[in-house]
Amino acid sequence: MATNKQEYLQTVLETHRMSHVEDLVNKFKSKRDEVKDALTSHYGSQIYSPFDSGSFKKHTAINTKFDLDVVVPVKRDSFDTLDKMFDSFYDFLSDEFGENATVRKQTVSIGIIFEEDSDGDVISLDIVPGRELSQDQYSNDKKLNLFVSSDYGIFSSSTYIQTNIQAQIDHIKAKDNERKIIRLLKIWNNNDGKEFKSFLLELITIKAFDTEDISGNLWEKLQQVMTYIKDNVTNDSFKLIDPGNSNNDLMDTLTSWGRTNLSSRMGTMLDRIESNSDNIKGYFPTNSDFEEEDKSSSSGYGVKTGAAAFSTPPDNQRFG
Amino acid sequence: MRFFNKHRNVELIISQELIDEIGIVGVEHFPNEFGGFLTGRYSDDYNTLFINDFVLPKASKGSRFQFVRRSKGMKKFFRKLFQSKKEYYVGEWHTHPNGSTQFSSTDLNAMMEIESAPSVKIKNPVLLILSVTNKKLDNATFYIYDNKKLLPYE
Repeated sequence: MATNKQEYLQTVLETHRMSHVEDLVNKFKSKRDEVKDALTSHYGSQIYSPFDSGSFKKHTAINTKFDLDVVVPVKRDSFDTLDKMFDSFYDFLSDEFGENATVRKQTVSIGIIFEEDSDGDVISLDIVPGRELSQDQYSNDKKLNLFVSSDYGIFSSSTYIQTNIQAQIDHIKAKDNERKIIRLLKIWNNNDGKEFKSFLLELITIKAFDTEDISGNLWEKLQQVMTYIKDNVTNDSFKLIDPGNSNNDLMDTLTSWGRTNLSSRMGTMLDRIESNSDNIKGYFPTNSDFEEEDKSSSSGYGVKTGAAAFSTPPDNQRFG
Repeated sequence: MRFFNKHRNVELIISQELIDEIGIVGVEHFPNEFGGFLTGRYSDDYNTLFINDFVLPKASKGSRFQFVRRSKGMKKFFRKLFQSKKEYYVGEWHTHPNGSTQFSSTDLNAMMEIESAPSVKIKNPVLLILSVTNKKLDNATFYIYDNKKLLPYE
């Protein structure tokens, strides 16, 4: 029997909801708060308040793979150079948590992977230190310079990147439809070699919604976004401007072959799903751990919040 | 009027006057489909739904076989409704001009999206489909959404 693509994709999203792993999420949050407290206590007035970012903050996280990101805005005069700032954070986090965790330098962050706990859970956090551009400027515009410790597309030769993480978070605020498509594309990407940056998939989805009239049910929206990607990414003039810095074009992180590869992967998926709807299951798998959960009790009107609260129905719904 | 859904063992109560009012709006838009939101409240035991009003969307587009409604800019309205009257969004309605009150796959897909939206706090939104002609309301059927299904009230 043919697969109902819309219904199937709803199940894919449902089985990847973060609410299924609430206990684990609470452990992540608890570790995150522990690290934040340690940083605040150690650096004191050298830093502004650390804040959360990443997929968790943007509501685009999926429960098969996620980590929590913490951005630490650092005052300009606290360190002479960005590499000294980065090394200081690495040294401090290694000293503080190294006994029970692997602490490692990553592209713009320091990763902390805590040892498996008694439940077999592994908690990982990414700490992103960023220095304000000039003394006291951060409070006004939230811009930060991040130290780049390894390749970052065309920025491989530079040692810092200017960004505005708050603007990146704001860019996806209140975009429920876009978030669903981003989650689906992340599920595909994670299942298929993880060749593409999540941030690139995020920006390209938002751009598709901004540029095209993306509407219809979940499958139709996904299909339109995938078609948009297929048709546009090989175009040399196609740009994906980082909302945190208008000089950063995320398309520059893809080589010419990478653009062609992304376009043809989208084309192949669309063709194969069109020829046989069952093929959608191979590209967008459900998380089998949570497939059997029955989300509704058998009687009465259900509410998600434990008590009736006001709802705002989602925008752009089509009936026939 | 009192309707009952066996599947979830729930009641729905709405006045005939309110259904007629919705029907009049639907007939005005004939031969195009038209629709909007339903508001009301649940009983304390969550076994009864009282539908007390209907709301027109700020923006919509209807044709003979399709209706698209927007909800942008309506969050404030629904918040105020809850704060002032303790009533909230409970579902959707739309017309089928010269058609039956049977829901379509498009309707089911829309309801799935609605229920799964984080901004929607209810698990069983209702759908009212009204069959209208150019002159009058012919028939009306309420459905309850539950776990990817739409089930009629009797």
